[in-house]
Amino acid sequence: MAPFVTTLILLGLLLVVGWPEVGLWARWQRVQHLTERVMQEDALKYIHKCEMKGETPNLEGVAGTLHIGRNETAVLLDKMQQSDLLQTKDGQMHLTPDGRKTALHIIRAHRLWEHHLAQETGYAETEWHGKADRREHELSPEDLSDLAARLGNPTHDPHGDPIPTAEGEVGQHGGRPLTEQPLDTSLQIVHLEDEPDTVYAQLVAEGLYPGMRLRLIENGTQRVRFWADGDEHMLAPIIASNISVSTAPAEAAHVHEDVRLLSGVGVGETAVVSQISPLCRGAERRRFMDLGILPGTVIKAEMRSPSGDPTAYRIRGAVIALRQEQSNLIYVKQA
Amino acid sequence: MSQEKKPLPTIPLTYAGSNCEGCPAHNAGQLLRLGVNMENWDFVIALAGNPNTGKSTVFNALTGLRQHTGNWPGKTVTRAEGGFSYGEHRYKIVDLPGTYSLLSTSLDEEVARDFILFGQPDVTLIVVDATRLERNLNLVLQVLQITDRAVVCLNLMDEAERHGLKVDERRLARDLGVPVVPTAARYRRGFDQLLAAIADVATGRTVCKPRHMKSESGTIRQAVERLTDKLHQLYPQLPNARWVALRLLDGDQRIATAVQNGELGELSRQTPDDVQTLHLEAVA
Amino acid sequence: MTTLPLPNNQATTADDILKTAESLRWEVGRDFHERLMEDVYTEAAQLADRAVTYPQQKPRFDLDRTIDRIVTSRLWGFPMMILLFTLVFWITISGANVPSGWLATLLVDMGHPFLKGLADGIGLPWWLSGLLIDGIYLAAAWVTSVMLPPMAIFFPLFTLLEDFGYLPRVAFNLDNMFKKSGAHGKQALSMMMGFGCNAAGVVATRVIDSPRERLIAIITNNFALCNGRWPTQILIATLFIGSTVPAYLAGLVSALAVVSVALLGVMLSFAVSWGLSRTVLKGEVSTFSLELPPYRPPRVWQTIYTSMIDRTLFVLWRALVFAVPAGAVIWLVANVQIGGLSLAEYIINFLNPLGLLLGLNGVILLAYIVAIPANEIVIPTILMLTVLVTGSAGGSGAGVMFELDSNAETMALFTAGGWTLLTAVNLMLFSLIHNPCSTTIYTIYKETGSRKWTAVAALLPVAMGFLITFLVAHSGLF
Repeated sequence: MAPFVTTLILLGLLLVVGWPEVGLWARWQRVQHLTERVMQEDALKYIHKCEMKGETPNLEGVAGTLHIGRNETAVLLDKMQQSDLLQTKDGQMHLTPDGRKTALHIIRAHRLWEHHLAQETGYAETEWHGKADRREHELSPEDLSDLAARLGNPTHDPHGDPIPTAEGEVGQHGGRPLTEQPLDTSLQIVHLEDEPDTVYAQLVAEGLYPGMRLRLIENGTQRVRFWADGDEHMLAPIIASNISVSTAPAEAAHVHEDVRLLSGVGVGETAVVSQISPLCRGAERRRFMDLGILPGTVIKAEMRSPSGDPTAYRIRGAVIALRQEQSNLIYVKQA
Repeated sequence: MSQEKKPLPTIPLTYAGSNCEGCPAHNAGQLLRLGVNMENWDFVIALAGNPNTGKSTVFNALTGLRQHTGNWPGKTVTRAEGGFSYGEHRYKIVDLPGTYSLLSTSLDEEVARDFILFGQPDVTLIVVDATRLERNLNLVLQVLQITDRAVVCLNLMDEAERHGLKVDERRLARDLGVPVVPTAARYRRGFDQLLAAIADVATGRTVCKPRHMKSESGTIRQAVERLTDKLHQLYPQLPNARWVALRLLDGDQRIATAVQNGELGELSRQTPDDVQTLHLEAVA
Repeated sequence: MTTLPLPNNQATTADDILKTAESLRWEVGRDFHERLMEDVYTEAAQLADRAVTYPQQKPRFDLDRTIDRIVTSRLWGFPMMILLFTLVFWITISGANVPSGWLATLLVDMGHPFLKGLADGIGLPWWLSGLLIDGIYLAAAWVTSVMLPPMAIFFPLFTLLEDFGYLPRVAFNLDNMFKKSGAHGKQALSMMMGFGCNAAGVVATRVIDSPRERLIAIITNNFALCNGRWPTQILIATLFIGSTVPAYLAGLVSALAVVSVALLGVMLSFAVSWGLSRTVLKGEVSTFSLELPPYRPPRVWQTIYTSMIDRTLFVLWRALVFAVPAGAVIWLVANVQIGGLSLAEYIINFLNPLGLLLGLNGVILLAYIVAIPANEIVIPTILMLTVLVTGSAGGSGAGVMFELDSNAETMALFTAGGWTLLTAVNLMLFSLIHNPCSTTIYTIYKETGSRKWTAVAALLPVAMGFLITFLVAHSGLF
């Protein structure tokens, strides 16, 4: 009896481990493969980024990005050369067409996923990048075209980066670092670098967003000061260099000064909307527009809840209550 | 959309005439409310409107059904259908979800938009709140870009009067290019004219020339014109090519699919181009 | 962007149009959608301006704003709200007692013996009449008599306030409290509706148009102590809690105990909302907006009619659909015997260790399992099962649910069943914190369309109930 039971148990174990596709061995193999694939893809992404910036990618950079040792990196890069993703010319790494295609696919996945998180979920802005970094490796080109279709084929991610098309075409944000700009000209943020996380978190905390208009006040080696959305901002130059700007269109020049937030409008006062903050995205932004909150809309603060919040506003004939977090996203000027 | 006309079955019906003693002409006497019985309809009516405009009250008044209407924005969550008979025709009426707009991408708006575009109702009845006209016209203008067979029901006139508002419905009708009928659905006022207007548009006696928006800036206008031209080349009969172009520029996948698989072509062939008489009378 | 070559045949194809659109989209810019909306609104504003003539001078008296100023004032806002809702609940409770009594007399006290007599008359076999009349009929009769009158009063009153336009103002007043726990002010209303019936409360969450907050309101609605659970609370509090104090305080103390349980429910509702919005529901979309519609004089008769049809009968029907099989199951477990013991006794013996660990007992757990369709029949089922297990006198036979007229008799039965103060306290807690009834679970599934969220809504409270009763049982307080 006993040997029979033992045999059964052993057989069972063998099946659990060795069953094709779902067995433990097959799973472990897949996890191994996944991590190697993920590392390869991350390396391709890094090299592509260097090429875009006109910098020379090197082994140290790859090792630093992937958080692995130099030897491991060397093995990885070697493998990538063998599978024709990379080639070395004059001692420099270059992407092969296949490598570039993969890199662009990953970048497209990353940016589309960030767009999805911004538009269709309630996750906080600082969580997008990390989530997209994990998800970008799991999406197939078909997944991406479905996702893009559902999102209305967006052209830019929420940081202002252009999303490569399925064919691998990619536009440029066309901005220059803020730190290279002259004082006292009208500028517009076109891109915020979302790496490293800590720097990006600081930019978000400052309330900066692509499309924001600003004017440099001071551009020194110690600090960079600028005026934007009715407020003065101050950043360390190293952080400010992660902001790319272009010259703002002329009609936007007036936006800097007399704007304030809708939340600052007292009960009984009337104001005119100048814009909805670009920080307000996705469903929330569409809801605002549905309610008729658009540049030029006259809004009157009617009453405040006895518990202090929300406040009811008369907007195009209807009385609509908004919470303070929301009225903080609406810029108004004097009626 | 017209179904084969069959003799009406004799079924017990509620007779609405008694509810309209005060009406000037007793036309609403021709209204037979059919409730959920809506077999063999001749025309389909889509009922659109902002939330909280009395849309469901209009629906109930026409069909004799009692859909609950709370004083809440967006109370009608599911799509309701009912029927009525007026004059010689039977109508099926579909109550669409109340929305502020058709341009954003909430589920409700998509349901409403798709029905107006692909369901090809014979008449789209847009219920608007006379006291909040500006907000409501936003939706009306969007509907008129999709379909040219519409009637505007200027509801809540009782409230407008109470607030001392005067709404010039003739002017509005001229500006919009579709019939505009003032009503007070809660008191069943104005339903004769409303029914008459619906029947006129459904049968083609009134041909609408709805207003189309023109106020776009340079780049957009050029882009729209380029696309509109191309759309006309592919689908010469397409009645709302401009709107389709705008949707494509906005990245609307549903419309892009419809362009691709020829669904839009189907639409264009069914446009009534046999109606020659172009007239729009000031209504009411 | 590279421009794409035109197809050779020069004809426009659908693909060509889409490609052109795709490349033009890079030109029209990212704020295209907003400019479009702006254009439409600008035009709408112009048209409205041409068509509408406003009164020459502002009317001196704006009724809507005047009412608003009172109902949302710092001084009067909250007292008025409390007064109004106390009034609604008082009318419901006091008004429902009498018709509930009538229905119970008619359906249970008279209808049940009459049907039994009829069944005997036509010679129906005992098991069939037992299953049909003692099981199915009695469950349905019980649910109807307890559920129908309060709902037939509560829902129309609530609907009148809704139609008038007062309820959005309540949400406006209370929103700040709900915001702090990550919920929507309108949850105040679905919660209040939940005090009438959780299934109706879940349906009422439709007015919450933000996905995340709506899910929160649905999942936590169960913590509003519903109409079906109040009788359990009142009975147990009177018997066990009231008896711990001198007779002249008994009424007050037991009432306080019941109110504390209800308030605990409200607090749990806030706590769970807070937890959910920061964990599992973090990724759901959240958009707040609350329109305060103009006040409209409610049409009383139509309101009563529609709220009867839409809410009262709708909920009653769903409850009956679930109560019927439950009646059959209750009768069967008490009557199907294996080796001289009924199925119920086997299950109770099996559940007893777990029940005692939680400070309850096997009878209570089994009652909550078989009476999942409606909380109304939990106490009658417990009584019936206790008689079955203890072999006490009383009751009308195996599988026949009943209630006793005198509290003393009920107490004697509970004592025979080995109940202590701990059993009573934990039953009150478990009655508040357990899975929603199957009517509500089904409604949650209908409303969310998601198995995942239905499972969360059903299982989370049971897990919490087990945990809390376990902690109380081992706290050393009893």
